[in-house]
Amino acid sequence: MPLTGTRDLATLVRHAPAVPKLEVDRWELPRAQVLQLMFEIHDSAMTSLIPRALHPTIPPTLVMVATRVPESPVGPFVLAEVRVGCRSGARPRAFLARGYCDSAAAIEALGERWGYPLQQAAVTLEKRYDRIRATVDADGRSVLDMSLVNPEPISGNDLQYLPNLNLARVIRDGVESPRLVQVDPDFVFHSSDRGKPQLDAFEADAWELPGAVVNHPVSASFAVTDITMPALRYLVDPAKGPLEAVEKVATG
Amino acid sequence: MKFGLFFEISVPRPWGPETEYHVYQNCLEQVRLADELGFDQVWAVEHHFLEEYSHCSAPEVFLTACAMITKTIRIGRGIVVCVPQFNNPIKAAEVAATMDIVSGGRLEFGTGRSATWTELGGFHADPDETKKTWDEWTRIIPKMWTQERFGYDGRAFSMPQRAILPKPYQKPHPPMWVAVTSPGTELDAADRGMGSLGLTFGGFEEQEKKIAEYRRRIKYCDPVGEFVNEQVNTVNFLFCHEDNTYGAKTGQRLAGTFNYLAEQLLAARQAYPTRSYPNLGLLPALRREATSAPEGQIPEGLAIGNPDRIVEVIKKWESVGVDRINFLLNAIETVPQEEVLASMRLFAREVMPKFAAKPDPVAVSAGGAN
Repeated sequence: MPLTGTRDLATLVRHAPAVPKLEVDRWELPRAQVLQLMFEIHDSAMTSLIPRALHPTIPPTLVMVATRVPESPVGPFVLAEVRVGCRSGARPRAFLARGYCDSAAAIEALGERWGYPLQQAAVTLEKRYDRIRATVDADGRSVLDMSLVNPEPISGNDLQYLPNLNLARVIRDGVESPRLVQVDPDFVFHSSDRGKPQLDAFEADAWELPGAVVNHPVSASFAVTDITMPALRYLVDPAKGPLEAVEKVATG
Repeated sequence: MKFGLFFEISVPRPWGPETEYHVYQNCLEQVRLADELGFDQVWAVEHHFLEEYSHCSAPEVFLTACAMITKTIRIGRGIVVCVPQFNNPIKAAEVAATMDIVSGGRLEFGTGRSATWTELGGFHADPDETKKTWDEWTRIIPKMWTQERFGYDGRAFSMPQRAILPKPYQKPHPPMWVAVTSPGTELDAADRGMGSLGLTFGGFEEQEKKIAEYRRRIKYCDPVGEFVNEQVNTVNFLFCHEDNTYGAKTGQRLAGTFNYLAEQLLAARQAYPTRSYPNLGLLPALRREATSAPEGQIPEGLAIGNPDRIVEVIKKWESVGVDRINFLLNAIETVPQEEVLASMRLFAREVMPKFAAKPDPVAVSAGGAN
């Protein structure tokens, strides 16, 4: 059977956000801007970045996403994620160990509602005619600088976004346990582009992705889209095998 | 209705020094038995880098071995990836002609373009280009087979006049097929007078509509070859057992394993935004079909269970216009080889006689001078 992850999340999960309840209101995020780049990574980190519950993609990949949200219940924010492409059983997913956001209010709300493990940093997303660029500066260091170069229009139907699996501490009946929180937003596209991916800075450790070495560009896309942040439907127990790990969230 | 085998050649981990050897030997044993039992065709894919799912990167070699150990079964190159980073049209024509000669005129020539980033990215192929190069190749390869000397000045391929040798044993040339995974490709097949080598199931109703449109369109085709190959070929899983419950359970395990492996790969569309790949290809459709039945029920279109159930399923496929069904027999050896062989024997004894072969719509002659 396929390879499975080997990562022990025990240390990492201590810094993950607490999700105190699994019934959350949907959020409507109109006209968000989403820059997404995909890269293949060296196979030395094929299984070491993800827990036992997940399979790596073949080839192993990172999906880097910057999202500018101009309007939300907690105000505007810019979010940056570097996620590991993976499979939860047979389903395509992306594992997030750490992301960055420029808004403390958004960090708290996204963490407690959808389990986003975020830290505060200076996050930018700039759209120009020749390129669309995102940067993350954390603790005085540039930990991500990525661009889509030479954007050309495409149809939003040609884009695919992977649902997140966010590392969090889920609290049920007063008991806290490490879980991957599945977040699968809905998207309604207003415009979209693709172009050449360019990576000028990436510090793997800053994203809790030790040993991740980017070695081959795959794609870059940019979209203006309405996003609906969803109700929670599934959790994944990272310590179990892929066929036993998925838990359906009970709806009240 | 004709029946065949369809090989991805999936190899389970851990990969010891003998693992691939044993899997290949099992496949060859299945082919030898299929020939004895009266199966009509054996197809093998061309895939690269697809760990566990398919270790069949040199199907021309495997299929030549199949031809050498069999007498009548036809050998299907399913498919030649018509993308210049993978193959070269001159070589593809030459190898196919040689396979046709050494098999005594038994080659079926499938064409396609690959559907995974795992493969396209591995060869540095441009996903936007694959449909275009496929279209160009399918028009020039039959001319390479039939013209004494061939020269061409095209968009993605050109060559000065040369004699491309050898020529196929079948005259004017082997039947040509298109692998159909993306919606609309069956119409591409029809417009070019090629057989539809379906690699997804869909429901009966959906297939019936597609096949009807294929048959309507092919009447007005501009054939790429010297003749029209109006045939609809599909793929299915096969596990036939006297005990319907055991047969269905084992068959579903086979289908589930196959589809689970398939989903680990990176589909072109998942990695690279392009209109060239409007769906995820072979894999999700197969998975959907294999898992779409309510709990405790057998998915309607799968050829698994006892002979009576399988006859019923195949009758339905026949009624919607399918001419041939190719069966996947195993996935990472999840079904023991003895059971695979027993399933084939039971199928041949109890199911095949219920389906008399229809004559080919277009006769292809074999032999004779170039």
